[in-house]
Amino acid sequence: MEMELAGIRKSYKKKNVLVNISLSIGKGNCVGILGGNGSGKSTLLSILAGVQKADGGAFIYQGEDLLQNSSKIPPVLGYVPQGNPLIEELNAWDNLRMWYDRATLLQELEQGALAMLGINSFLKTPVHKMSGGMKKRLSIACAVVARPKILVLDEPSAALDLVCKENIYRYLERYKAEGGIVLLATHDMQELELCEQCYILKEGVLEAYQYDGDLHHLAGKL
Amino acid sequence: MSRSFKYFEVQLKRVMKTFPRQMIVNLLVCLCVGVLMVVFIRDGLSAQDGQKYRIGVVGDMSDSYLGFGITALQSIDDSRFMIELVTMTREEARTAFEKGELYAIVQIPEGMMEAIESGANDKRISYIAAEGQKGIGTMVMGQIVDVASTLVTRSQSAVFGMQSIMLEHGMQEEFWEATNALNLLLIELVVNRSGLYDVEVLGIANGLSIEGYYFCGILLFLLLLAGINNSPLFTRRQTDMPRFMQSRGVGAAGQVAGEYLAYLCLMILCVVVIFIPLYLCLEREWFTIPEWEGMGAEPLTQFLPALLPVTAMFAALQFLLYEIMAGVVSGILLQFLCGIGMGYLSGFFYPAAFFPDIMQRLGRIMPTGAALRYVNGSVAKEESGMAGFGVLLYLAVFLVLSVYVRRSRIRRG
Repeated sequence: MEMELAGIRKSYKKKNVLVNISLSIGKGNCVGILGGNGSGKSTLLSILAGVQKADGGAFIYQGEDLLQNSSKIPPVLGYVPQGNPLIEELNAWDNLRMWYDRATLLQELEQGALAMLGINSFLKTPVHKMSGGMKKRLSIACAVVARPKILVLDEPSAALDLVCKENIYRYLERYKAEGGIVLLATHDMQELELCEQCYILKEGVLEAYQYDGDLHHLAGKL
Repeated sequence: MSRSFKYFEVQLKRVMKTFPRQMIVNLLVCLCVGVLMVVFIRDGLSAQDGQKYRIGVVGDMSDSYLGFGITALQSIDDSRFMIELVTMTREEARTAFEKGELYAIVQIPEGMMEAIESGANDKRISYIAAEGQKGIGTMVMGQIVDVASTLVTRSQSAVFGMQSIMLEHGMQEEFWEATNALNLLLIELVVNRSGLYDVEVLGIANGLSIEGYYFCGILLFLLLLAGINNSPLFTRRQTDMPRFMQSRGVGAAGQVAGEYLAYLCLMILCVVVIFIPLYLCLEREWFTIPEWEGMGAEPLTQFLPALLPVTAMFAALQFLLYEIMAGVVSGILLQFLCGIGMGYLSGFFYPAAFFPDIMQRLGRIMPTGAALRYVNGSVAKEESGMAGFGVLLYLAVFLVLSVYVRRSRIRRG
């Protein structure tokens, strides 16, 4: 397997948020993590992104434990948090320039990931004037700089309209097709259709789940 | 190019976008504070120059000799520039004293002059002051009354002695002429006493003049206020950006460095813009402080770089406060309250030397106190080593705390 989580643990003040989280994901696969509010989905993703420290466990990518060497996480993993990590006063171009050099940015806008996300259409729009969908696409664009092999998204299409969702899903499909690994925390059933594997995170324990379209059954599990 | 530097560049671009708006607000605040400062200093000085202790004189004023004495004090004695003697009834004096219109009351007892004339000296003048006036003024007044009593009794002894000798030697014809001549001589000696001393005013703090002191205090207060505009820029409502930066390899220290340096650039720019009208005022001599008298605007150009450590420290303090607060309004409130409170305790608005000892000590050890001492030293062109060290120490502490707060916010989410 390309990526493996082994026994990741995290607790806050004696409360176990994550208990021995283990899973494996292959190249070009997408894994969806479902769970109620406060179930620890965001904590798990932020540990993988190197934002928070785990109490124990390993995040192995190509045989190396990235939790032991967090400086190796940024080139490998792109992280899109739940909110939008953007500078409101600046436009899309300025936000992207923080991560891309000029030549790469122009190239990506021409025919790369940024073209696919449709960033060109609002390149000069200040972030504070953007719609939720534009912001989310721009956030993803910022995260996929240097073409990371793993993309971690925290509820990527929450509160977005259908057109935006479609745009993001198309991008994620292409990302997978190019061999990328996607790990997303979600509440959205449409997003589950992108996933090859689903897990439910409940009381810190990860449990595999096969979504068969029965929403009532799923709600009962959360 | 490192990510931290790129982040700084972006932050700089961000803060510069708000610069025109912020500059207008800063200049308006500067204008208001500047006008207040000029009015305050001028009023303060002219009030100080023209200030007189108004003293009510009550009691037995029937004697013409006493009336002559009071008139002489009010018209020819040097004390007329400091003390205004007003004769009034006991009731009028009490009312005026209660209203605070009188500094003190001098009560002349019944038959005082007769007692003096007869050489008895058993009547005492009462000097009445309020409980809260146990200051230097009251002390000086007490001394003046003592001096006057001594002068009267000694002069009296001289006159009586001379009169006795004249009578013993049968000099009745020259008696009154000689008495008057001696009285006039004694009065002249008293009136000319100002030649005996010279007063030198050393200033109110660190040897600075009152204008120099308030110039420093108000300038620092302006610097503290200048940061209030930046609340919407730096108050953290969400942690998505810091968390994202962390995931891209820019940790709390790199983030704080990038944002703080951008903020510092903005503050320095604000200071430079504030200094332009100040430079023009000094160059055209519309305004000056005694320490820079006759030097035009040149001292200001030397003073500007000296102000940089303080600007950096205040920027770090403001950055930390924004880092702690989660809302724009609470950020503004905290900045304002901290500015006013720390500025007041450190003597920005009123010389700290007049505060109780504990407040003075507290004010001195505060960041604003260190800044004021450092800036006072720069204006007076004196060494301000310890104060400068204090400013740099506070700068380092605020930055370290900012990094700590940022790190815990990133981890907390």
